[in-house]
Amino acid sequence: MTTDTASVPAPQEPEKTQGTQNTQDTQDTQGTQDTQGTHNTQGKSDPPREAKSPRALAWTRRRHSAARFWREYRTHRAGVCGLAALVLIALAALGAPLLVGSDAQSVTEAPGEAMRAPSGEFPLGTDQFGRDLLALLVWGARISLTVGLLAAFLSVAIGTVVGITAGHFRGWYATVIMRVTDWFLVMPTLVLAIALASVMDRSVWTIILAIGVTTWPTTARLVRAQTLAVESRPYIERAQALGGGHGHVMARHVLPNVMPLVLAQTTLVISSAILTEATLAFLGLGDPTVVSWGGLLQDAREAGAVSAGDWWYLAPPGIAIAVVALAFTLCGRAVESVLNPRLGVSR
Amino acid sequence: MDTQDQHGRTRTRTRTRTTRTRTRTRTRPTRLHPRLPFLAAAAAAAAFTLTAALATPLNPAPQQAEAKDDGKKTLTVAVAQSVDSLSPFVAQRLLSTSVHRLTYEYLTNYDPKDNHAVPAFATKWESSADKLTWTYTIRSNSKWSDGKKATAEDAAWTFNKIMSKEGTATANSNFVTNFKKVTAPTPTKLVIELKKPQSTMAALDVPIVPKHVWEKVDDISKFNNDKDFPVVGNGPFVLSEFKVDQYVKLRANKNFWRGAPKFDELVFKTYKDQDAAVAALRKGEVSFVAGQPALTPAQANGLKGEPDIKVNNGPGRRFFALATNPGARTRDGKKFGDGHPALLDKRVRQALFLSVDRKAIVDKVFQGNAVEGAGYIPPRFSEYSWKPSADQELGYDPQRAAKLLDEAGYRKKGSKRVGKDGKPLDFRILCHATDPNDKAVGKYLKEWWGDLGIGLKVNCLDDVSVPWYAGEYDLAFDGWSVNPDPDFVLGIHTCAALPEKAKESAATDNFICDNKYDELYEKQLAEYDPAKRAALVKQMESWLYDSGYMNVIAYPNAVEAYRTDQIKSITTMPSAAGNIYGQDGYWSWWSAVPASGKGSSDGGSSTGVIIGIAVAAVVLAGGGALFAMRRRSTADDRE
Repeated sequence: MTTDTASVPAPQEPEKTQGTQNTQDTQDTQGTQDTQGTHNTQGKSDPPREAKSPRALAWTRRRHSAARFWREYRTHRAGVCGLAALVLIALAALGAPLLVGSDAQSVTEAPGEAMRAPSGEFPLGTDQFGRDLLALLVWGARISLTVGLLAAFLSVAIGTVVGITAGHFRGWYATVIMRVTDWFLVMPTLVLAIALASVMDRSVWTIILAIGVTTWPTTARLVRAQTLAVESRPYIERAQALGGGHGHVMARHVLPNVMPLVLAQTTLVISSAILTEATLAFLGLGDPTVVSWGGLLQDAREAGAVSAGDWWYLAPPGIAIAVVALAFTLCGRAVESVLNPRLGVSR
Repeated sequence: MDTQDQHGRTRTRTRTRTTRTRTRTRTRPTRLHPRLPFLAAAAAAAAFTLTAALATPLNPAPQQAEAKDDGKKTLTVAVAQSVDSLSPFVAQRLLSTSVHRLTYEYLTNYDPKDNHAVPAFATKWESSADKLTWTYTIRSNSKWSDGKKATAEDAAWTFNKIMSKEGTATANSNFVTNFKKVTAPTPTKLVIELKKPQSTMAALDVPIVPKHVWEKVDDISKFNNDKDFPVVGNGPFVLSEFKVDQYVKLRANKNFWRGAPKFDELVFKTYKDQDAAVAALRKGEVSFVAGQPALTPAQANGLKGEPDIKVNNGPGRRFFALATNPGARTRDGKKFGDGHPALLDKRVRQALFLSVDRKAIVDKVFQGNAVEGAGYIPPRFSEYSWKPSADQELGYDPQRAAKLLDEAGYRKKGSKRVGKDGKPLDFRILCHATDPNDKAVGKYLKEWWGDLGIGLKVNCLDDVSVPWYAGEYDLAFDGWSVNPDPDFVLGIHTCAALPEKAKESAATDNFICDNKYDELYEKQLAEYDPAKRAALVKQMESWLYDSGYMNVIAYPNAVEAYRTDQIKSITTMPSAAGNIYGQDGYWSWWSAVPASGKGSSDGGSSTGVIIGIAVAAVVLAGGGALFAMRRRSTADDRE
């Protein structure tokens, strides 16, 4: 998913968000160019060299901006470190069956004795079923990352939809929906997620849903603020005068302009989603038959590893959670400062 | 009834409030940068909050330090449960019934050596020739703690109150359903007339309450006996203080007829986290950690190396079983719930059990701290325990299981078994979220049954009673503590125990209702000859075993621990090798002898605690930093 983060189409938006007069001009000319482009294709079939098809043009533009994005990103040392850590962890998670074997989670085929300290055979010792803890840690990365990513996307998606519509429609709709947002904002996220997770089935999807539907208000507020800013610009008025409907304005003008914000927000939300997932699993609200990092901590506590002093059971999952959360945060900060230089974040 | 275990499990997670306040005072003075205090405070507060949950041993008991200065000898017992009610008419949990054992007398008690009935409030009991009238001679040297004499009149009043069924039979109804009349002709004579012969008459586990106190109570069904302390009683201890979900304090009854207890005070302190209780034991804050739930192998092994701590690993009173939903129904036959129809086939139920390797569960999950399951009644009660014969036994045999499933019409299609309707065979199992053993065994079942082609969804809930009473489960983890007299645990599988209305709570355990079983139950209840009665009970166990409704996997040991520098000696039950907490009698606490030396509370916290804290701190420092950074980034105006 790290590659995704880097290459999410963030075409020319950075300039647009600068909010200067010529950004709007660019926007407008681009709009006209596009329409001309389509006319062209309808007229002549495909002109070979000199005039590229609009699609190809768009792709070149995207490639350029991606390259520019990466050039900028590379200058953020912390961001690069975070990205490297993420790539490493993601590779381990994807290659888990090859790296540690697909039966590492099996309790009936557990290779070792219960609760053994680290040794040559088991570098991180074994759990109460005699399973290799290193293997479980690698497998656990899958669930933790999946849940973190999906929950973050769900959360940001809800937040974006709510934010854009609230910012666009105003009036009673915005009032109502923002009061709902406020209500979710003041509710303690963890308590709400626990309540949700405990009334529904114990499964990974429950956790994703519980995190997703409780963490969106921050995104919604941010996106709404940005939407209001974008919509106050004259080119939106022009678009409306030219007959652009609500859908057109929101999808073609507002959404591209809030995308950088949403992207940065996503990377930041992921790490808090991973932490929340670990917390919920630790509190015993996860699926007990699935291995995740929070679940490993919970297993360790239930097995009495804390009072018995079996540090090798407790420390690695905790450190793994911290490392991943930190890596995502570093990436998110870097992305944010690349996409929005006005934040002026230190490198 | 000390048989609370199935539905009434308590939660095990709390956060100590004291940690949080302490954190705040510690982090306040840092003021380096406008945002730094916030960051530090957020990270530290978060770290400590989770630390409290992860490693509650840090400061499990703020104020309860052995107050030995005034010469009072206090025995503090860490229990995982809290009290449901202090009223003997209502209470069902093990802790509450244990308290009643200590504060009220019962007609009879059980001998700590071999569980036979011995005199308690009654000194002698005999039945008439027609087996329908029982006469008890009540002792004349028992006094209530307010000075009044305890007489047969109190006993008669107690039984009559339960029989009146004004919401007073919640706890002990199975003993009195057969009673016709209870009278007290003289202060030392109690006469019970029965409708039918009843073999449990020397094992009436009913606390006798003082009539002169309880008659003043307006509504006994709602009274929890927690208004006036000390509570008037005549047992070896007097209930002197109680705080919901925190502790129950008992003081020794110096006038107890069998002799005063050696400890002056007995405190049952609720620790919702067993690991916290273990840490408190290490520090000497408690003298005893109850084995309900049993200490985990890691905890027990960790404690074995400690000086001045003894781990008691005795055969338990409980069984740990898989219950299969036989189709929930009401007493008049109305079906409800959504149990899997495949489970109505005996072959499927037996196949499920044939593919469970009970030995592996005892070795791996209980790590030897249990006995492999067979009959319904644990081997500790040797006269009633039963083992299947060689050809009746459903040992671990996946091939036979596969064959049985084929016969039943569930053939393998790819890796899944499908029924005749083409639907794959998928079951749900109800598990107690608070019981690590349930979850661990669930993992094994999922793999064993998965190999057979049966899907399993482990559904862990904090409170399983809702889907359970509603009959909305396929399989469930089940377990009961068994009394020396097996009447209660046998009675919960009779048709009479079924609920009157759908989804109502009832005495039934697993909606089993079978004429043959009921017939045997009636017979054993009416049989006065112990050997013949035992034979009948064994027939019932045999039926239960074959039916596949109750698959007993193991009999977990009671693994508990105490400080030998605080308790010199204590009676286990059975005295050769048995449990201490949750006995059928008051023997352990009544007999406990305080150690002469002061408890050495070295306060040496284990490395595990330190590491746990370190880990949590690392995790949460990351979280805190993230939070602070996010705040910083998003707080700035973005137009």
